[in-house]
Amino acid sequence: MIRGLLRFTLGRESEMLKVDNLESGYRPMQVLWGLNLEVKKGSITSLLGPNGAGKSTTLKTVFGSVLPWNGKILYEGMDITELPTHSKVEKGIVLVPEGRHLFPNMTVKENLIMGAYSEEAAKRQVESFELVYSLFPVLKERTKQRASSLSGGEQQMVAIGRALMVRPKIMMLDEPSQGLAPRLVIQVFEAIERMRGEIGLSVLFVEQNVETSLDISDYVYIMHEGSIKAEGTPKEIRALTDIREAYLGV
Amino acid sequence: MISVGKSVNSQQSIVNIKKYFPLLPVYGIYLLLFLIGIIYPEMWSVVTLLAFYCALGQAFNIFLGMTGYVDFGYVAFLGLGAYGMALGIDVSHQTGLNIGIIFIGIILGLLMATLLSLVVGAVALRLRGAYFAIATIGVNEGFRYLIEGAKLWGGSEGLIYFRQLNEAMGREKTNVIVTFWADVFVLVIAAISAFITLYYMRSKIGYALTALREDEDAAKVMGINVTKYKILAFITSASMAGMLGATSWGLKYTHVFPADVFEIHYTVEGIVIILLGGAGTLLGPAAGGLLYGLSKYWLGAMFPGIQLLIFAPIILIIIVAFPEGIVGTMKKKIKGTVLERYIA
Repeated sequence: MIRGLLRFTLGRESEMLKVDNLESGYRPMQVLWGLNLEVKKGSITSLLGPNGAGKSTTLKTVFGSVLPWNGKILYEGMDITELPTHSKVEKGIVLVPEGRHLFPNMTVKENLIMGAYSEEAAKRQVESFELVYSLFPVLKERTKQRASSLSGGEQQMVAIGRALMVRPKIMMLDEPSQGLAPRLVIQVFEAIERMRGEIGLSVLFVEQNVETSLDISDYVYIMHEGSIKAEGTPKEIRALTDIREAYLGV
Repeated sequence: MISVGKSVNSQQSIVNIKKYFPLLPVYGIYLLLFLIGIIYPEMWSVVTLLAFYCALGQAFNIFLGMTGYVDFGYVAFLGLGAYGMALGIDVSHQTGLNIGIIFIGIILGLLMATLLSLVVGAVALRLRGAYFAIATIGVNEGFRYLIEGAKLWGGSEGLIYFRQLNEAMGREKTNVIVTFWADVFVLVIAAISAFITLYYMRSKIGYALTALREDEDAAKVMGINVTKYKILAFITSASMAGMLGATSWGLKYTHVFPADVFEIHYTVEGIVIILLGGAGTLLGPAAGGLLYGLSKYWLGAMFPGIQLLIFAPIILIIIVAFPEGIVGTMKKKIKGTVLERYIA
């Protein structure tokens, strides 16, 4: 009984984000049709699937830049379904958007400063700089360089670094490897693993790059046509040959 | 841009006087304009023209320059400001308030413009970029036809209130106020707008607006309530325009006609001034206002009738040569020098 109670409380505590029967889209077109997923505290969870499955829409709906039509989004047990994006950021949820959205004419440092916008983040700015530079030493060398002059991989690191300046508890990344050379893809994924390892960040990311994603994830969701078709640990997903072939093409 | 970060660090140090050094050149220009007008009375009409353009640019810049949104209906705020002055004087001229009625007019102009900006902002600021610009085109035309069609406030015949002013303040005082103080007020409004611009620039508001102007999606991701700051900039800018309309049109001409005050070319002039001077800079609107006003005056005197034909290519050349405006380009050149502290 004690074990059961322990599992019950631990189980509840370890839940960072829970999405329950989520529906959303771009009116009149519905994209998500009753989506369920969970991100455990300190875990790396990935959301895979073919183009147009609704992966990005899922992240945008959780973040609030696309409004949910139905269903619930729970964050640390709190209902955040109706919260506007800026309140979600204050609570510790960040999104690194597809295409990075850096400020191209600002330097690396200025881009990072822009990330520390909230009062809480501004107070911890110096400390956050150290954190970002320790995770991405290459950015320290580039601190006075304009963001537009960086390579794609470095730009992605700035985007992740800028999101880290908020001091989030959960980071969502929309196709972090998009447009990157294979070597840089590995760098970015390593950075994600280190963020989890060093500051215990929970990560939810969307990817096309299936193999590498399976390598670093603790848990994987496979999405198709707006809902989850399969889920499991990477090992379990690798064993599901027919699912892999049907939805991931590998 | 580095100053953005500095301001965050120094937020605790209460009044950092150095932060406000960039006001010196701006206020220098306005003081110089005023002195030239006082010393050479025959120049007063040129000074008033320049003061109007500087103030228009400075007020419009708070919204257009700082957010990057283009409002084609901006002149409606000036127009409503002028009507505010007219109605204020009309209502209060028999109360024995004497000069006080002018302030009632200015406040009424400010309130009416602010109210309109709240309504327009709440609806149109949900749209982005070009969609916002198109949505606002209709605002001033709509207002003009509303007033004319519904015979509101005298309809297309407008309001004339020179007599009321005379009754309230006497002929002599009215003359001085209409020909001199109305224009001084315009300079004061330009100065207030400049102060607000710099205050915004040096605070968290400017920080949010910079992010929003550069990339609205990125601003959202960083946890900035973009709608809030857009509306704030819009309302501030509109209230300045309301006061400007109340003084430079309402008070100065002592009459308001809808066809005159809801004229879209003032909006376009405002946009040109800001782009010439440098959008989002503090000194830009003053520099742009001077350049635009002087060129328009001088070309009008030298080449009457074809001045616009000559003016258009000149503007084009300046914009191609200085894509970020004169002050925007200058700011880049002086980065790292002592001058940096005085130009924003």
